[in-house]
Amino acid sequence: MNRRLALKQLAMAAGGLALIPSCDFSEEKVLAAYDELQITESQQQLLQKLVDTIIPKTDLKGATELGVHNFVLVMANDCMSAEEQKQFLGGLKGFDDYTKKTSGTRFTKMDNVEAEKTVNAILEDKPTSDDEMATKYFLQTTKKYTIQGYLNSEYVMTELMPFQLVPGPEFNGKKEIVPGEKVNING
Amino acid sequence: MANLNIKSKQENTYGAIVIGSGMSGGFAAKELCDKGVKTLVLERGRSVIHNKDYPTTNMMPWEFEHRGQMPEDIQRENPVVSRCYAFREDAAHFFVKDQEHPYIQEKPFDWIRGYQTGGKSLLWARQVQRWSDHDFEGPARDGFAVDWPIRYKDLAPWYSYVEKFVGVAGFHDGIPQLPDGEFLPGIELTAAEEYFKSVVEQKYPGRNVISGRCAHITGNAEYYAKQGRGICQHRTICQRGCPFGGYFSSNSASLPWAQRTGNLTLKNHAVVHSIIYDDAQQKATGVRVIDANTKEVTEYFAPIIFVNASALNTNLILLNSTSKRFPNGLGNDNGLMGKYVAFHNYRGGVSGEYDGLKEFTTEGKRPTSGYMPRFRNVDKQETKFLRGYAAGIHGSRSKDVNYSGTGADLVKNMMNPSYGPWRVGSHMMGETIPKESNYVALDTDQKDEWGMPQLKVNVDYDQNDLDMIQDYRDQLSEMFDEAGFKNIRTWDDERRPGLDIHEMGGVRMGHDPKTSLLNKHHQLHTCPNVYVTDGACMTSTSTQNPSLTYMVFAARAVDHALKNQG
Ligand SMILES: Cc1cc2nc3c(=O)[nH]c(=O)nc-3n(C[C@H](O)[C@H](O)[C@H](O)COP(=O)(O)OP(=O)(O)OC[C@H]3O[C@@H](n4cnc5c(N)ncnc54)[C@H](O)[C@@H]3O)c2cc1C
Repeated sequence: MNRRLALKQLAMAAGGLALIPSCDFSEEKVLAAYDELQITESQQQLLQKLVDTIIPKTDLKGATELGVHNFVLVMANDCMSAEEQKQFLGGLKGFDDYTKKTSGTRFTKMDNVEAEKTVNAILEDKPTSDDEMATKYFLQTTKKYTIQGYLNSEYVMTELMPFQLVPGPEFNGKKEIVPGEKVNING
Repeated sequence: MANLNIKSKQENTYGAIVIGSGMSGGFAAKELCDKGVKTLVLERGRSVIHNKDYPTTNMMPWEFEHRGQMPEDIQRENPVVSRCYAFREDAAHFFVKDQEHPYIQEKPFDWIRGYQTGGKSLLWARQVQRWSDHDFEGPARDGFAVDWPIRYKDLAPWYSYVEKFVGVAGFHDGIPQLPDGEFLPGIELTAAEEYFKSVVEQKYPGRNVISGRCAHITGNAEYYAKQGRGICQHRTICQRGCPFGGYFSSNSASLPWAQRTGNLTLKNHAVVHSIIYDDAQQKATGVRVIDANTKEVTEYFAPIIFVNASALNTNLILLNSTSKRFPNGLGNDNGLMGKYVAFHNYRGGVSGEYDGLKEFTTEGKRPTSGYMPRFRNVDKQETKFLRGYAAGIHGSRSKDVNYSGTGADLVKNMMNPSYGPWRVGSHMMGETIPKESNYVALDTDQKDEWGMPQLKVNVDYDQNDLDMIQDYRDQLSEMFDEAGFKNIRTWDDERRPGLDIHEMGGVRMGHDPKTSLLNKHHQLHTCPNVYVTDGACMTSTSTQNPSLTYMVFAARAVDHALKNQG
């Protein structure tokens, strides 16, 4: 239980850290907050770029702005089995090399358009090697948690798809749908 | 020294002792205190005070670190409790973790427990269907277990009494095998359930679909205000503890009520080790209690003792209460204590979709769902298996969210959900037959941290259960098909016994001291100042959820105990 508390505090600190440009990657420390994952700051930054590629800022807030990249790491660290973590990490750690190999540019160096194209291609591809499998698994899982973290964020659940903690005693089992009315998944 | 002992004996003497502060113990305590009896409630777990100790009750979904999901390491360390659907981030603190209180599964058994003030009454799903004579006459008619020494008419007024206090939402449905009760306004079915009801009731005479009766306050606000409780706000996160007291729990209702009489003493961290039997007086005189923290032993005394530690723990305490007169456990002359344990069979499920009623959806949340009372072998034996099953029935309009793509496309897709088909589903709640071979016993070597022998559990399904699962799957999918539902899927999830959380028996009631442990007033035949009114007393299991009936037993037994106190 203590580990989890430490994790929570560190996760917040790590969120702050990401804003500090790090110059020297040669002696990277692993991020203590995600002790199961043993990932580095640059890997975290890659993930942040990926999360922002999946849900970028549009006229709505983007995923990174809501801290969703931290949520993805918390879930990967705490809620995946060892086997799932191995695949996820394999995909994360090899992701830059993989994209360099397949499209000539490292993911971290890509512009937004290219990044999105690359991610979509991998998600649609049928993996044939272990490498490809781990990469695809990593992307699918990241997408899943990104969506979960985004849709369950305070921003979405109060401003876009309002959720009510206290709905009140009315229940209508047969409400007539008003055509064109916005559907609220939390309503 | 002698004087000191007399003094401490006086200080530790009460008008009655209740073991366990959960659903049944809480109600027994309320009844005793209401009638002016100085009552000591002994609860092994920590204190949980209504509204003070509900740490997650007002948390928003995004405030849960894992959005509700239990982390992998906790699940790995707690395989048993992790199988319970309600063991989630918001209520995990009200469940017993596997390592904390070990027991021995001689056969796989998921024992789901809540050790704290209120027991499992904080966590329950609040379904409160009455039992009927079809249930109480079952063993005699079908020739299993032993005859119940009571009938529905003995309980009917007590059902009314308890329901009024608890607050039960429901409709008067007029179904013989599911008697009507004292109902607050019912909660309506959804359009899909309403439609399914019309198909079933037209094509299958004798089968019904109703709104499940649930322990929620939906009216008569002034009356419940006297209990300090308010109208249910349909939050449907009840397992966190309800700040409104909208659903019934010991914590929000019976215990505070008992407290206000000034007659209640509630001791937490008090692990009851055994009941003290006095050979000279030929009766139970008190209980031996181990302090959960210091392990210090204290004795408390009372002329009336209610054992309400939840079914299997009640067995454990009584089996552990040995004396010269009762070397095999208090009241256990016939050696049947711990035997004839039974439970509910929740293994079967059915799901489907309905493409009609497209113009409707639902609005708001509801704390119950549809319910189909037992329709098999009701008036006579018709199938190759004994007894029958009830079924939960639920239908809600699905919302389709398109998660395809990435980037701006994904955002656009996600933010424009549409209505999908109605999703309909069902789960079974089957009656299992109590058998001598389904039993619990004390392990002679392994003890727990408090020096109590560990409980060995030997409970399993039998062919009757498997046949019933098959029949449920066949019947429900046929009815779904008749209703025009599509993509019908049925399954047997092969869950272990225990996960139904309706374990019953071991200290069954009956007419005859040779074949049962308790008489019709819930007194041990051979130690009548000890009463058992939780699940341990059940002679058979019926298909209806049991907890309302435990509270009814508690109220009725207290009445008897006080009228017959010599
Ligand atoms: C998720 C869930 C859903 C459920 N849904 C329903 C439902 O819809 N309808 C229904 O009828 N039932 C339901 N139940 C079951 C219901 O909660 C139990 O049947 C009911 O709480 C049993 O009441 P009880 O008083 O026997 O035991 P509990 O409520 O479990 O209380 C027993 C108390 O005794 C204490 N105790 C145990 N041993 C000792 C000891 N040695 N010394 C001192 N204290 C001791 C425990 O700590 C506990 O507080 C559900 C349960 C759960 C967990």
